[in-house]
Amino acid sequence: METRKLVLNAPTGLHARPASELVKLVKGFAPTVVRISTAERSVNAASMLSLLSLGLKCGSELEVSVEGGDEQAVLEAVASFVESIKE
Amino acid sequence: MTVKGPAVLFKRPGSGTAARSFDEAFGLVRSELERQAEGNPVFAAHLEMLDDPMLCDTVKDNILAGMSEPEALAAARDSIVSMFEHIDDEYLKARADDVRDIFGRLRAAMTGGTPGGESVIPDGHILVAEELFPSDTAGIDFKALRGILCHKGNNTSHVCIIARAKGVPIQVGADISGIKDGDTVQVDDPLAGRLQSIASKARAAGLKVYVNAANLAEIRAGMDAGAEGVGIFRTEFLFLNRSSMPSREEHETIYREALLACAGKPLTLRTMDVGGDKELPYLPVTVEDNPFLGLRGIRFSLKHQDVFLPQLEGAVDAARSVRGMHPEWFEEGSPLHLTIPMVSTAEEILQVRDILSGIAPDYRSLLELGIMIETPAAAIDAPALAVESDFFSVGTNDLTQYIMAADRCNADVAYLYDPFAPAVRKALEFTVEAAHKKGIPVGICGELASDPRATGILIDLGFDSLSLSRLEG
Repeated sequence: METRKLVLNAPTGLHARPASELVKLVKGFAPTVVRISTAERSVNAASMLSLLSLGLKCGSELEVSVEGGDEQAVLEAVASFVESIKE
Repeated sequence: MTVKGPAVLFKRPGSGTAARSFDEAFGLVRSELERQAEGNPVFAAHLEMLDDPMLCDTVKDNILAGMSEPEALAAARDSIVSMFEHIDDEYLKARADDVRDIFGRLRAAMTGGTPGGESVIPDGHILVAEELFPSDTAGIDFKALRGILCHKGNNTSHVCIIARAKGVPIQVGADISGIKDGDTVQVDDPLAGRLQSIASKARAAGLKVYVNAANLAEIRAGMDAGAEGVGIFRTEFLFLNRSSMPSREEHETIYREALLACAGKPLTLRTMDVGGDKELPYLPVTVEDNPFLGLRGIRFSLKHQDVFLPQLEGAVDAARSVRGMHPEWFEEGSPLHLTIPMVSTAEEILQVRDILSGIAPDYRSLLELGIMIETPAAAIDAPALAVESDFFSVGTNDLTQYIMAADRCNADVAYLYDPFAPAVRKALEFTVEAAHKKGIPVGICGELASDPRATGILIDLGFDSLSLSRLEG
């Protein structure tokens, strides 16, 4: 399993549109499983409801973990997507 | 209380057609949304939510936990909606409406109708129905209603419980024949207003008004109705009617949801009060000659720690997780108040504290630990028990029965079961005095709290809170 700690820089937090794009991205890597965790909870990044329920705000610390195939590449893709969310 | 207003007849969406299973309903709603999603971003987002594994998983988990399909759907809706409503972000909060809408479609499809949404009832009307099922109430926006007239049902029907908790007058057993939409009708509800009058009297005297609850729906309904917290959350339902023991994670999920539903106000969680006459299918049955003097409440929990431990662990986990989301709720002490039933000695409290220290050395910052005062031993030794407790909660039903040594269900001695008897009064007086000498709060959560004849007495005795039973009105 590969993991990386990140900080969300999107000024208005993780909202539905970027969340839904993240879900699409993650689903494309199936069956590799991507999880997003905060200090309290860990959710499957393929579930938009779960992602939104984290209530991630600007400045929230999160950890991306990838398990399955191609872990390094998937982690890279997911991490750079999360870091690129600017809306 | 009597209210008048224009009638609106309840229409169960598509009633008459056969009901569908959850899976069939899901397929129907999915194909309709797929059609609507083309070029419509709102419906496209709804389709995505519908396909979300969390939605199906939550419903299926509820079905596995023994709920009927409509109940499972309503419970899943409530838990997902509340998750969104508690996000500290106005935009995401509003997504709760999308979730409601999707569940409304599913519900309509399951009850045999065309998927569309929730039943729409214009504001200020009186809903008139032959009978309202739990699955119907799930789709009704009570806040918009002035009252409910129902032909079938009784005061303990689900719809009555919910309506009263929401402060909506309801009359069951009403003759509704011949009523048409728009007719002016009248609802007579002798019970509505009774709780409100107790509540306002208590609040005026500076007491907190809590609500009793046995599940998440009741907690939410009570908080919606303006309760300042939950005075007793009976957790037995988690243990009964199932074939295996609930896991630490199951406890954690429910308690977390409950804490979120209370939004920082106290949640008094009573640890399982089983044993005696309530047996668990997954534990060997022991027949007792005298179950009410036997292995129940904390006695049972300490003997069956394999059942008790996951509950305490789940409670600690839930508090920790909620504190992570809302540290501000913990600034003046934890909103999680754990209360132990059937305590008779200080030793029992210390044993629970030992177990909690083993789970989390810092548990004192995560929860308050109090006890139920419901045995004569606890009332008589209240000054000593107060030393080990963060609060007291008086359960008048058991306390009365044990002090008077009278079984309320035995017609020959039922006259002795009197919560107004001098002996019970003295026990209450002594308990309140002991709590206040030690500087801990003491609340009352038995049926007496919901009895309007007792309100003045309880205020005079110095109780800090009343927890009202919604069944009582």
